[in-house]
Amino acid sequence: MNDHPTSSDSLDLDRRSFLKTGLGGALFLGTVSVTAGLSGCATQPAGRLSAVGTRMDASYQFRFLTRDDIALFEALLPAMIGPGLPEQPQARRIAIAGTIERIDAGIHNFGPANQKELRRLFDLLNFGLTRVTIARVWSSWPNVTTAEADAFLERWRTSGIGLFNNGYIALTKVSNVAFYGHRDFWHLSGYPGPPQHAVDALPQFNNA
Amino acid sequence: MSLTDRIARGLESGWKVTDGASLSENLTQEADVVVIGTGAGGGTTAEILARSGLSVILVEEGRLYYQKDFKMDELTSYANLYQEGMSRVTRDGAIAILQGRCVGGSTTVNWTSSFRTPEPTLNYWAEQFGLEELSPEAMAPWFDGREERHSMAPWQMDPNVNNDILRQGCEKLGYSWQIIPRNVKGCWNLGYCGVGCPTNAKQGALMTTIPGALDNNARLFHSLRADKLVMDQDRIDHLQATAFGRDGVTPTGVKVRLKARHFVVAASAIGSPGLLLRSATPDPYQRLGRRSFIHPVNASVAQMPQRVDPFYGAPQSIYSDEFNFRNGVDGPVGYKLEVPPLHPGMSAGVIPGHGEAQINNLAGLPHMQSVIALLRDGFHPESPGGSVSLRDDGSPVLDYPVTDYLWTGLREAFHTMAEIQFAAGADKVRLMHLDSDWYSSLAEARDAINRLPMEPHRVRLFTAHQMGGCGMGSNPQNSVVNGFGEHHQISNLSIHDASIFPTSIGANPQLSVYALAARNSTRLAQKLVG
Repeated sequence: MNDHPTSSDSLDLDRRSFLKTGLGGALFLGTVSVTAGLSGCATQPAGRLSAVGTRMDASYQFRFLTRDDIALFEALLPAMIGPGLPEQPQARRIAIAGTIERIDAGIHNFGPANQKELRRLFDLLNFGLTRVTIARVWSSWPNVTTAEADAFLERWRTSGIGLFNNGYIALTKVSNVAFYGHRDFWHLSGYPGPPQHAVDALPQFNNA
Repeated sequence: MSLTDRIARGLESGWKVTDGASLSENLTQEADVVVIGTGAGGGTTAEILARSGLSVILVEEGRLYYQKDFKMDELTSYANLYQEGMSRVTRDGAIAILQGRCVGGSTTVNWTSSFRTPEPTLNYWAEQFGLEELSPEAMAPWFDGREERHSMAPWQMDPNVNNDILRQGCEKLGYSWQIIPRNVKGCWNLGYCGVGCPTNAKQGALMTTIPGALDNNARLFHSLRADKLVMDQDRIDHLQATAFGRDGVTPTGVKVRLKARHFVVAASAIGSPGLLLRSATPDPYQRLGRRSFIHPVNASVAQMPQRVDPFYGAPQSIYSDEFNFRNGVDGPVGYKLEVPPLHPGMSAGVIPGHGEAQINNLAGLPHMQSVIALLRDGFHPESPGGSVSLRDDGSPVLDYPVTDYLWTGLREAFHTMAEIQFAAGADKVRLMHLDSDWYSSLAEARDAINRLPMEPHRVRLFTAHQMGGCGMGSNPQNSVVNGFGEHHQISNLSIHDASIFPTSIGANPQLSVYALAARNSTRLAQKLVG
C-alpha cells in the first residue's frame, strides 16, 4: 500500500463512488494510514499509560491500541454499550477503561492480517480529514457527545455501502464481546456464569 | 494438577512434546513421516502411523491447551483456541469463520456433533469426481471404526430447552427431526464444548488420537507454524517452520527444519491450500485453493415465554434434515437445521447492534433460543465455492462470493427458522440481519423476510465448517489429490483433512474427516512399512 502517492486530492473524489468499489476503499484506507503517520497521529501502541492520566490499571501494557484509539473507544463505548455502563462516575470510568484493555488484549491475538485491517479503520476514524468526510463526525473524539457517537454508529449500520457496514460490525463486535463477555457484566445478560457445582468439582479451579 | 487428566499424565510419563516457544536455537529433526496439523485429520493419521511402528513428528501452529486451561471462560478461549483470536473472516469481511487453532484443532472446540457423510453426498462424489471407492458401503466400516474410537453415539440425555424447541417446532409442522450423535464419554451436560471441554468428556483428537500417537513415540511440536514444504526435484525434502512465543502469535525467530520420507498435510481447508501455495507445489491445472466450501450459515433468534438458558446443556442434540436433500442432491440449495449455544460474549458478537437496543437484546438471553441453517454448498453450477489465496505476508485468506443461488436459499432458510420458532411458541423472532427488527407474528416475520435485502454484511453469515481447496478426484485435471488423499504430482505428499472434500458434506464434518483420514492412513502405513 505504501507505494501509492499520498495526496489529499484523493479525498476530493466523490466519496460514495470512490468507496463503493472494494479496491478503491482498500487503497483509500492504505493512503489514510500513511497520511495519519505523517501528520502526527499516534501510531505506536500506547504501552503502559499512567493510572492518573487514564484512570486505567497502570499495570496493563497496551500492545495494539494507540492513545488516539483509546480516545476513540472512550468516545464510542458510551454509545456502544449505552445504559449498560454504570452511572456512578468512578465505576463508569473503570468499566470503560477495563473494556478498552480487553479490546486491546483481544486484538493482540487477532494476528497481523486483521490487525492491519483494524489499523486502517482506526486511522481513518482518528485522522481529522477522514473523520469528518467519511465518518461525518465533526469534533475530535474526546469532544464527541454520546448522541453524536450513536448517530455515527447508526449511519454506518444503515449505510448502503458495504464497507461502512463492515466497519460498524468490526467496531461493535470487538466492543460487545469485550464488554458482555466479561464476568463483571454477565448480570446484564442474565448469565449466571459457569455452573457452580462444576466449578466446585473440577480440579482446574482448585488452584486458582 | 490432577493426574487423572490424560494429557497431564502423558506429559509426566515423558511424552515427546516440545513447545516451540521454549526453543532458543534453530533445530533440525527427522522422522519417517511429518504430519502438519493436529486436528481430526492429523491426529488420526499420527496415531495410525505411529501404531504401525513408523516414527512420526506432529506439527501444530497453535499451542497445547488442556484441562488445566479449560475454565469455561469465553474471552480466554476465543483468544487462545480459535484462528485469529476468533476474528477470522472472509476477505471482504462478510462471513465470520469459526475455526480451531490449538492442539486437537477444531475438534477441541467443536460442539461434538458426529455425523456420517450423507449417502447422497458420497454417491454424488462417485458420479461427479470418479470416487466410486468412497461408496457408502465401502466407507461403512471406516465410519464404524471411528464411531467406536471417538465414543460417538446418539445423545442419551434429554435435549436442553434450546434444542428441544427445534424439536417441538419441527414436530408441530410435521418436519422430520433426529437426535444428534455426539463424541463424548461421561459428559456432564454443562454446555461449554466450544471453549474447550472442562471435564475431558469430549473425545476429540485431544483425548484420543493425540495421546494415542504420543504413547507410541510420536513427537509433537506445538506453537510451531509450518511455513513451507521445500522440494528436491519432484519430492518434498523437508518442512520449514517458525516458532511462536508463549502468546501463540509472536514469532520468536527460531526456525525448525523437519525432514521425512513422507509428508501429510492436515492443516485445514484454509491452512492446507495456504501451505501448498506458499510452497509453490506443482499445480498444472490451477486446482489448488479452488472450490472452497463453507456450509454458509445464517441464523434466527427467538424470545420464548419459558426459560431457555441456552448457555447450559449439550449445545447440539437435535437436528432436522427436512430441507437438506429435499430438492435432490443438486437442485436448489438444501440446508440442515441445528441449534447453537448462546453464551453472552458470543451472543453479543453475533447479534448485530449497539446501545439500548443491544442491551435489550441481551437482557433476554435466558429466554433466548436460536436456530441456524447450514447450507449445503458445492453441488450446483451456481455454487462453485470460494478460493484460498495468499496475502502479501504469506497468510492464507478465503474469498467466498455468495451467489444468487445461495442468497435464495438463505432467504428460504430465514423463513423456515422463523416458522419453526413461532410454531414452538416464540413470543417474537429476530433474524440475524442488520435491518431486522423483532417480529411478533409469523406473518410479520414473513413479510419482513421477503423484503430484507440479501446482501453481504447486512445478512450476518458464519461458517464453522471449512472444506475443499485441495479437492480429491480421479482426474488430475479437476482435483489436487486422488481418492486416497495422495497428491497427483508429488509422490511423498498426502492431504488428510477436510480440504480434500470435492463439495461440502451436508453435515458437520468431523466424522467425515476422521473416517477418510483413518482409511487413507491405513493405506499409507502399509505402503511405508511394507
